[in-house]
Amino acid sequence: MSLHNVKKEAAEDMEPQSKRRRSSECDSDSWAAYPVLSDEQSQEAELIEAIAVPITNKKETSRLVRELSSLYPLPGLQHIKRVRACKPDSPHPLEAVVCLVSDAPHIDSEEAISVDSLLPSDRVRHDGLGEPFVVKVPACPPLTRPQFELASKHWPTSFHEDKQVTFALRGELFSPPQKARMQEYMLSAVAAARAGKESGMEAIGAVVVDPKLEKVIAVAHDCRGDHPLYHAVMVSIDLVAKGQGGGAYSFDKYPACQFALPTSNSTTETSQNEAVQPYICTGYDLYVTREPCVMCAMALVHSRIGRVFYGTSSADGALGTKYKIHTQKDLNHRFEVFRGVLSKQCEHLNGLEYIRKLK
Amino acid sequence: LCRLDMGTEREQSFHPSDEEIQRWMASAFDMAKDALENGEVPVGCLLVYNNQVVGKGRNDVNETKNATRHAEMLALDQLLDWCRHSNVDAGSVCERTVLYVTVEPCIMCAAALRLLHIPLVVFGCRNERFGGCGSVMDVTSAQLPHTGTAFQCVAGYRAEEAVEMLKTFYKQENPNAPKPRTRKD
Ligand SMILES: [Zn+2]
Ligand SMILES: [Zn+2]
Repeated sequence: MSLHNVKKEAAEDMEPQSKRRRSSECDSDSWAAYPVLSDEQSQEAELIEAIAVPITNKKETSRLVRELSSLYPLPGLQHIKRVRACKPDSPHPLEAVVCLVSDAPHIDSEEAISVDSLLPSDRVRHDGLGEPFVVKVPACPPLTRPQFELASKHWPTSFHEDKQVTFALRGELFSPPQKARMQEYMLSAVAAARAGKESGMEAIGAVVVDPKLEKVIAVAHDCRGDHPLYHAVMVSIDLVAKGQGGGAYSFDKYPACQFALPTSNSTTETSQNEAVQPYICTGYDLYVTREPCVMCAMALVHSRIGRVFYGTSSADGALGTKYKIHTQKDLNHRFEVFRGVLSKQCEHLNGLEYIRKLK
Repeated sequence: LCRLDMGTEREQSFHPSDEEIQRWMASAFDMAKDALENGEVPVGCLLVYNNQVVGKGRNDVNETKNATRHAEMLALDQLLDWCRHSNVDAGSVCERTVLYVTVEPCIMCAAALRLLHIPLVVFGCRNERFGGCGSVMDVTSAQLPHTGTAFQCVAGYRAEEAVEMLKTFYKQENPNAPKPRTRKD
C-alpha cells in the first residue's frame, strides 16, 4: 500500500471521529467568533469641526438648505445630514451645517464667526437664521454600526449598513449549526497541537477545510523542532499541496499531520485553474489554534486562503495584533479573519507551551 | 546603491566588503540570467557563509504546487541541510550568513530570514507587489521580539538590470512570478 493510500484513509477517518466528540467535549455557546476588521473599520470615527447655524423659522428651511448647498456644497461630507432637529427645550427648532471650519472665509477665532462673514447676503438670505456656532461632525462615512452610533451622537449621519459586519461584530454571524462545525474543525486543530507537543513541538495546530464540501483537506501541527520554519500553517499549506500531487516537506515522522486527496468532483471543477496557478487554498478555510506570525500570514496570502479562524491572539501576530496582513491594501489578495473560535481550549494550549518552556 | 541602516541591536562588525558584495551579486545575476534562458522566473538567490555558497534557491512554486516555495525558502532549506551534513550549529552559521538576491524578498521570506537570524540581505530591484524590506511592508527592522532578529539591507544593487530581466520574462507570460518595478529613489 502506498503512503498516499494510508494517508487518505487516515484523513477520511478524521471526520466521523470528531463527530463523536461533538456532544461531550464542549459547548459551542462558550465562545464567539469576532471579525478582525481593518483599521478603518475598527477605529473610532474621526471627527472634524464644522460651523452650524440655528434655523429660527422653520418655514425658511428648504430655501436655506438650497442656498447653503449652492454656496457650500460640502463635497467630502455627503454622509452628514445638512439639517438636524433640535430637542423640544431648544429655543429654535432646527440647526443646519454651513461649512467646515477649515473652509470658512476669514476666520481667525470663534468670535469672528458671524452670519455676515459666512454668508454673503446676495447668495443666502439671512431671514430665519440665528448666530453660527462650531460643532463636531464625523469626517468620514461610518463603516460599522459602532462607528455610526458614535458619529450620530455628534451630528445626524447616514449609514449604509453591512448587516454581515454588524452581526459579526456582535459575534452573531454564525448560526448554531455553523458554530458546531467550526468547533469540530478547531477541536481537530487542538488535537493535532497536542499530538505535536507530544513529539516535542510547540503546541500549535492547524486544519484546512473545504467549506463547500464540508471536508477536511489537511490537519497539521507545528514541526519547528525539526525545521525552524515548519510552523503549523506552513505545514498545513504543504499538506494541501501534497494532496494535490505536489508538496515539498517530509511528514513520515508525524502521523498526526494528514492530508486528504481531493474528491473527484472538486478536481474536475478546479484542475484547469490549478494547472496554471498553484493557488491551492482558494476557497478553503484555515482553523489555527493561535494567530499566525508574519511569515505564515503572508504564506496564506500567497496561497489565496479563503478565510482564517484562530483561537487566541499571539504577541507578534500578523492577522490582528501587530499587523492586519489580510486587509493590507497593497496586496493582491485579501481575506476575512475571525478570532475567538474555541478560545478557552486554544488558550489552554498556550498554557501548556508556557509550562514546557519553564521546564 | 543605497545602504539602509536598520539600527539593529546586533554588533556591526560583521559586514562583507564591497568587493565581496560585487562578486556574489554577479553570481546571483548569472543565476537569474540562467533561469530566464530556461523560461523560469529570473531570480538569483545565494546564501553565503564564510566565502562559501551554502544555499542556492530557485522558485519552485509550480512543481510543488506550494505557493510558499520561493527561491529564498529553498536556499534556507539548503543552508540548514548544509549545517546538518557539516555537523555545525545552524545558529552560529546563520548569524554570519549573507543573502544575495536579485529581487527584494517578499514579506513571507523577509520574516523567514528574521526567524533564522540572517543579519544582512543584499538585493537588486524592489518588489512592489510583495516586498517585505520596505516596498509593501518593512519587517526587517519592525518591533517583533518573537520573530527572530531584525536585519540590515543593502538595496538597489544593479536594480535596472534585475527589472529588465523580469520584464523580459513577463513578456513570455507567466502568471506566477512576482512583478517588481523600480522606483526612482
Ligand atoms: Zn508562523
Ligand atoms: Zn518570498
